[in-house]
Amino acid sequence: MSLSKDSIAIDIKDLKKYFKEVKAVDGVSLKIKKGELFSILGPNGAGKTTLVRMLTTVLTPTAGDANVNGNSILTGKNEIVKKIGVCPQDITIYEVLRAEENVEFMAVMHGMSREEAKEKSRKLLEEFGIAGRKDWSKHFSGGMQRRLNLAMALIFEPEILFLDEPTAGLDPQARRLVWDFIRDLKNKDITIILMTHDMVEADVLSDRVAIIDHGKIIAEGTPTELKEKYGSDNALEISFLKQVDLELVNSNIQNIPFVANSSEITHKERKTLIISFQGGLKNLVKLLQQGIIDNIDEVENMKFRQNSLEDVFLNLTGRRLRD
Amino acid sequence: MTFLENKAIQIAIKNLKDKLRHWQYLFFSLLLPILFTIMFYFMLGSEVDPSGRSYFDYGFPGMIIYAVGIGTMNAAIMFAGEKRSGMLNRLDTMPTGRKNIFLGALISESFLLMLQIIIMFIFGYVVLGLYFVGPLELFFGFLVSVLFGISAVGLGIMIASVSKTVEIANAFSLLIFMVLIFLSGSLMPFESPIVYFTPPFWAKQIFLQLTVLGQGLNDNLYSSSLIGSSAKVIPITIFGGLLIVIAFSIGFTLLGILIFQKKTKF
Repeated sequence: MSLSKDSIAIDIKDLKKYFKEVKAVDGVSLKIKKGELFSILGPNGAGKTTLVRMLTTVLTPTAGDANVNGNSILTGKNEIVKKIGVCPQDITIYEVLRAEENVEFMAVMHGMSREEAKEKSRKLLEEFGIAGRKDWSKHFSGGMQRRLNLAMALIFEPEILFLDEPTAGLDPQARRLVWDFIRDLKNKDITIILMTHDMVEADVLSDRVAIIDHGKIIAEGTPTELKEKYGSDNALEISFLKQVDLELVNSNIQNIPFVANSSEITHKERKTLIISFQGGLKNLVKLLQQGIIDNIDEVENMKFRQNSLEDVFLNLTGRRLRD
Repeated sequence: MTFLENKAIQIAIKNLKDKLRHWQYLFFSLLLPILFTIMFYFMLGSEVDPSGRSYFDYGFPGMIIYAVGIGTMNAAIMFAGEKRSGMLNRLDTMPTGRKNIFLGALISESFLLMLQIIIMFIFGYVVLGLYFVGPLELFFGFLVSVLFGISAVGLGIMIASVSKTVEIANAFSLLIFMVLIFLSGSLMPFESPIVYFTPPFWAKQIFLQLTVLGQGLNDNLYSSSLIGSSAKVIPITIFGGLLIVIAFSIGFTLLGILIFQKKTKF
């Protein structure tokens, strides 16, 4: 990767953290560009949180170094903490403080005046949909607490934001809401480091992804690159009504260049075709247009399984992310 | 930067809000000592000695020291909670500084200690009408109690350092505090040289001698030897005793901070 020094937000060089015999982080090297949303994807216990804790200067590495915004984590702690925001995995808020009290406290800790802190926290909480709540934050719903947790990391407009499993334990609706916030942040040119074990989250949000397992980076690239390089083919399963000429349909499909293979299954008068093909959703549309459209009236059911980062992880490690 | 924008002050304000919004804290720190005082008042009775002072007049300084010593538990719970909740780590990723965290905690705890002592004073000297030499002596007793309270906070920080959860910190600090109060002979007389190694002993004896036994601050501070339990004379002046309390406060606080730093910085 060729990057000019000024365009790098985080430069990790052979970073290691050992806890006695346990190699939590084992020689990680990465370069993260300014303004990029970079995900570190891995199962629980892979070393994601240890890596963040070193980058945010909470943990001292056993070996190696990293530059965060141009400052070494070994010698530049005081400068680093002025520029980073950290949203921890666990909801870390003062439960008997109100939302604005929590956020204002964080702002003053970053050296903001009380007036500025009040004004900014009001605006931020409005953006997050939790302004005006006068009750203590322990009474908030899980989603609201998660948003407050995030707001506390954003109040002083950090240049680099570390998000450690920001949607853990959220329902799908709240999860989408947090994703929207993250997308908005990306547009504000903040460098975001997202630690997650949720491959969909990493896939939909990230510019680039590094996959970590047993403390080592095992793959790195854009989600599309990773899926193309390490993933499986997409699979489309189509069930037809009995009058279709399945052999003819299949031979048409096999002539399409991006189709890897297709197989016919006939079971109790039900005719099914399973097609494996490469590429993204564009190829799915092409496949339907070129191979199925003439028999569309005979299609009874269709199932599509897209190549995902889960497949990438499975192919690289032989395990599922949640194993 | 205004005084209120100082980080240590902001942390102290946050700590105070956090504590004063918990009814359990209010009960345990402010009401329980009063309940204990009432219990001891009825236990010791209002019988007076030839000098005209009741047994409870002699016992009340020990009650104040007991109340102030609860600061051990409060500090242990607070620091263990910050550690456990991840808030300490979160503050470490910000330009806060551990110095401000400790200073803020000492400010808030000292404020609460003072509040506690004032409530005890009002209850003992105003409501129950207990004997005291004079307001100046009482003020001195107040300062000695605050100094002792700081050593209790230091002990609490030490306990928080080695406690994995708030529950363990709570139980552990209660155990240590009760043993310390017993060994110091602050609530009940305890005839053993062990008492000299406990901060509550010195704080209680100075308080007692200044506010109940003495004839006035000038006579007492530099010349009088401290009188221990069972009226034994200790060859240390009250001023010397005060230096011992100060040494305990500084020593416990520094040791608490050092152990806490060692246990929480990796």
